[in-house]
Amino acid sequence: MNWDAIDFTILGPALVAGLLVLASHVPLGMQVLDRGIVFIDLAIAQIAGLGVIAADSLGLPEHGLAVQGAALVAALLGAALLTWTERRAPAQQEALIGVLFVLAASAGLLLLAGNPHGGEHLKDLLVGQILWVGTPQLLALAAVTAVLLLALAFGWVRRVRFGFYAAFALAVTASVQLVGIYLVFTSLIVPALATLRWRGRARLWVGYAVGGLGYAIGLALSAVFDLPSGPTVVCTLAFVAVLTPYLKRSPAPVIQQAHS
Amino acid sequence: MNLSRSFLAAAALALAAVAAPAHAALRVFACEPEWAALTQELGGNLVDVASATNALQDPHQIQARPSLIARMRAADLVVCTGAELEIGWLPVLLQQSGNAKVQPGQPGNFAAADYVRKLEVPTSVDRSQGDVHAAGNPHIQTDPRNIAVVAQQLAARLQQVDGAHAAQYAQQAAAFQQKWQQAMARWNTEAAPLRGLPVVSQHKAFAYLYDWLGLKEIAVLEPKPGVEPSAAHLQSVLATLKATPARMVVYSAYLDPKPSEWLSGNAGIPAVKLPFTVGGTDAAKDLVGLYDDTVTRLVAAAKTAAK
Repeated sequence: MNWDAIDFTILGPALVAGLLVLASHVPLGMQVLDRGIVFIDLAIAQIAGLGVIAADSLGLPEHGLAVQGAALVAALLGAALLTWTERRAPAQQEALIGVLFVLAASAGLLLLAGNPHGGEHLKDLLVGQILWVGTPQLLALAAVTAVLLLALAFGWVRRVRFGFYAAFALAVTASVQLVGIYLVFTSLIVPALATLRWRGRARLWVGYAVGGLGYAIGLALSAVFDLPSGPTVVCTLAFVAVLTPYLKRSPAPVIQQAHS
Repeated sequence: MNLSRSFLAAAALALAAVAAPAHAALRVFACEPEWAALTQELGGNLVDVASATNALQDPHQIQARPSLIARMRAADLVVCTGAELEIGWLPVLLQQSGNAKVQPGQPGNFAAADYVRKLEVPTSVDRSQGDVHAAGNPHIQTDPRNIAVVAQQLAARLQQVDGAHAAQYAQQAAAFQQKWQQAMARWNTEAAPLRGLPVVSQHKAFAYLYDWLGLKEIAVLEPKPGVEPSAAHLQSVLATLKATPARMVVYSAYLDPKPSEWLSGNAGIPAVKLPFTVGGTDAAKDLVGLYDDTVTRLVAAAKTAAK
């Protein structure tokens, strides 16, 4: 153990990135859980990755805005497809999301077989590492988060038909590049799952507290024990979440709420 | 569990690095184990070296740990392969560290591949050629002649960065070169029977080794790491092997051996695991051990194949 390793100039940007991801993902995650489509983030991230590989195969520039644009357009197309399938076959939505994930991943591998650099892009996109974030990425993430929080506050996400999936595509495409797919999934699902005993605004704040605590402890432990930060945060967040339900006595019956 | 033990070991190392008395050793951040080993040989107790990756990791990508940034911040000298090998993480890490001494172009930044003749440099950077590095094949450490060249340059760099101890570096470098020339003469004799043997590689990682030992790469099993080869590709590999039977299939210790084992079973040739870098196998404890073990394994496989 090495307590001196907790250096805020190193861990600070990572913590800010984590908190920004949580700001949009905790409320979105609660909706994901309500809809019973927990693997949607994997599918959307994979589709965004597919968009980047496809753009590269078409000869678009390799870096910067073109890549981001391709990722976002692909994610939004995926979101539109999911909005459509939700209307046509609501009962099969989760299964369709699973199929879409595998399809996007396999199509990506097929495109990669003929594309020399696509693999690197896919990795860049899906395997973001939270410690590497710098100020420009934090500012971009902050802007995206602000847009998402406004959309959530005005109720566009719940009321507009395409709103939920569009918000989701934007949130996941932005966050997965910075913190990676495992942390995105964890930030989305775990706080929502840990706070099933709370309702409304209280649930949201407890969810934020769970997430923030998970990130803070995880980053500190990763520094003290010299462990990779992303996986450490996933574990501590899950640990905090396991303890959370005991904060509240009333054992509200945990019934799956299926309103779609 | 092995994994947790290595985590503990890493934690203990990090602690030891901090707890060690500050005897003003030159702090060296090495990207790969082979350069950590070489810097240690050349620097002796004048340097405090840590490697960012271990032998069983793919040096193309690493998991970000806070200690990497901290170590980079404190580094006096960064010793890496270069030639785009670490392009996925080193530039970000350098930028994050804010350490002006070790930025590219500074004396504190040493890229080994700058000093050797590189193989597989694409004549035109045509993106249709597959997974090519524009700067050439970066896996230069599989040829001990490259190590000798890099050692000379690295010794000069150590003398430049740590001028107060220049004489001691020069002395240690001379001792290393002498030891190395003797070892190379031994390897050349031992590996003589390998000259001209046809081999299959799991990945294109051994261009320099083949160039040194005169092995002939007749096919590559997985053209791209992580992407399954097509059925047609595997058929063409087997067809090539029918026409020109290879003597062995070679793979690096950090890779999954399944593709090589598949070919080994299908074509009836031995699959040879090579350490690839220091620490890749138990016998490859240091630079000399790395080539001792590489040559021993290749020669042993050539013998069984001949039977």
